[in-house]
Amino acid sequence: MITMKKGLIKWFSGMTIGALLLTTAGCGGGAAPAANSGSQSGEAAKIGVISYLTGGGAAYGQAIKEGLDLAKEEINAQGKVKVDLIYEDSRGDKTEAINAINKLINKDNVVGIIGPTLSGEMFAAGPIADQAGVPIMGTSTTAEGIPALGNFVFRNALPEFLAVPQAVEKAISTYNLKKVAVMYSNNNDWAVSGYKTIESTLKKNGVEIVATETFADKDTDYSAQLTKIASLKPDAVMVSSLYQEASLVLKKAREIGITVPFVGTNGFNSPELIKIAGAAADGAIVASPWFPGKQDEKVQKFIADYKAKYNNKVPDQFAAQAYDALYIYASALEQAGSTTDRQKLRDSIAAIKGFQGVTGKFAFDEKREPVMSATVLIIKDGQFTELK
Amino acid sequence: MAILLNQYYLQIAVFVMVNAILGVSIYLTLSTGQLSLGNAGFMSIGAYTCAILTVKAGLPVYLAIPLGGVAASFISIIIGFPALRLTGIYLAIATLGFGEVVRVIVLNLKITNGALGISGIPTLGTKIGKILSSFGMSKFGGFSAQQVSTLLVLVILLLVLAFLIFFCIRLNRSRVGRAFAAIKADESAAEAMGINTTYYKLLAFALGALIAGIAGGLSAHLTFFIGPKDFAYHRTVEILLYAVLGGSDLVIGPIVGALILTLLPEVLRSASNYRLMIYGALLVTMMAFRPQGLISEETVRYWKGKLGRGSKQ
Repeated sequence: MITMKKGLIKWFSGMTIGALLLTTAGCGGGAAPAANSGSQSGEAAKIGVISYLTGGGAAYGQAIKEGLDLAKEEINAQGKVKVDLIYEDSRGDKTEAINAINKLINKDNVVGIIGPTLSGEMFAAGPIADQAGVPIMGTSTTAEGIPALGNFVFRNALPEFLAVPQAVEKAISTYNLKKVAVMYSNNNDWAVSGYKTIESTLKKNGVEIVATETFADKDTDYSAQLTKIASLKPDAVMVSSLYQEASLVLKKAREIGITVPFVGTNGFNSPELIKIAGAAADGAIVASPWFPGKQDEKVQKFIADYKAKYNNKVPDQFAAQAYDALYIYASALEQAGSTTDRQKLRDSIAAIKGFQGVTGKFAFDEKREPVMSATVLIIKDGQFTELK
Repeated sequence: MAILLNQYYLQIAVFVMVNAILGVSIYLTLSTGQLSLGNAGFMSIGAYTCAILTVKAGLPVYLAIPLGGVAASFISIIIGFPALRLTGIYLAIATLGFGEVVRVIVLNLKITNGALGISGIPTLGTKIGKILSSFGMSKFGGFSAQQVSTLLVLVILLLVLAFLIFFCIRLNRSRVGRAFAAIKADESAAEAMGINTTYYKLLAFALGALIAGIAGGLSAHLTFFIGPKDFAYHRTVEILLYAVLGGSDLVIGPIVGALILTLLPEVLRSASNYRLMIYGALLVTMMAFRPQGLISEETVRYWKGKLGRGSKQ
């Protein structure tokens, strides 16, 4: 009896696994022709994309993918150059990113790479692309020192050390700040780097820091830190964290009666912040290269197209920067006149000047850092508006 | 041959080797029947010590990697004394806590650069590449210098692994190995037989930490960058899985486990979004049908019987 039962279980789970494998194999087969159809029309440039598509940060990876897909359709429809995107998931893990980049470079023979999503992944993957001589461009990697990884490493994400000072300085001049409190998430590389920028900007402008409080990603209780800050009565609070933590900080702060403006790093720059914090988000200030309310034909067209393609979703900055990144590649490919020459592509990316994208005017400086200006935004009545 | 020497496959092979070394480290602690979940913590100590020594103090890699291992081993002895008074699940919890403590300390120290991690670590591949080019060699019969240097890294790792396997097999047949096996079978009985259980448990613990530290140092010098996130709880689970999947009776078990679990996500890459699901399903099936792991002593005996004399081990 027991052996029979065991045999049955074995048989059953064998079937289940078999079925699972079959369905996934089917999925793979279904996706393949779609990917190939782009390359049939002659020599499409193969561009590899490494993105955070599954796991905790999949929302960012998804936005990036959507932005890229939209740009790809438009570029291929215009027909000046043809591009083909090959996606690889990195799960936000550096060894996965290393494997993905090696696959793209050596197996798929891509001409250039977009991604990875996180700065930590870029620190591991960037040098590999550089050694192999393949241009790589991060669309969301804002930590300091990324293009310094090598001559082939670019980014079109406005780094924190360029964006944050604009917001901080604007807030200082608008609100005449004398003493401020600073809060940051100390277990997030990107937030720490944002904090350092805030600190140095404040020092440069002679603003006194009355308190520096830390918390960790995924914390939910900020009352201890905020009570201390409230007792010091600062003119403003500067926060460096992702939007999840930032919204909870704002909520709690308003609850215990801190009404001063909050200046944030890029984490504040998300519609989710307003969704979670609600009215508490009012008075939050952030500098962003991407501003959906901008009265610009290109921006409005992008938003309309994006909404039409993706179920009325408003593009966030990840989508916008990814969208621009592929256009930068396209115009560089056009300049290079080749869809396979990596060196030529690298040189023409480096030479990009006066590119007009949805995140504004764009160029690379000699260190391959983006030259672009940010708009300082403030949340008013649940809306991002320009701080003037 | 040219296809096999693709940088992509070489890189995966390199990761397989590092993970196999980690598999040996968990095997050693498990060989006394101690379930320690501190290996990611020791790996982290090794990796950071090694990276700081090479990046900030300018020590050569071949010195820094063993030193990282020694540092991890040293710490393991300090925490081993109190921790090894615990057994079973309690030891697992204590060592798991240790791993978290290491992570948080690393996160808050200045020298480890906190959450930003240490970037720009020179890799073994580039080091070897530089040595090769200093001899004026840039092309090797159609293979790029990058391929050749990765291949050499692979050979070095293979030698390290081969040495570790040899060491473990010799260990098992020595007085120490017999003591380990006795403790694993029954600690009280072993103690009654006159075996100093504390000493041998600590020895196994320290050896495991030494190897984990070395693997950490190696991985730091293979990935350009280390951050505290790399050695978090999930890494511990991964290392433990090598032993769970492969079996922990024989040293070859965790190595086979590491091989399969490192290759699997890459083999399943074409399944894109489903790959982790398949990975999980395979592990659950493993648990259900072979709780002792893929390779146990019975498996080896069975195959030996089938293939006649002169097979493995």
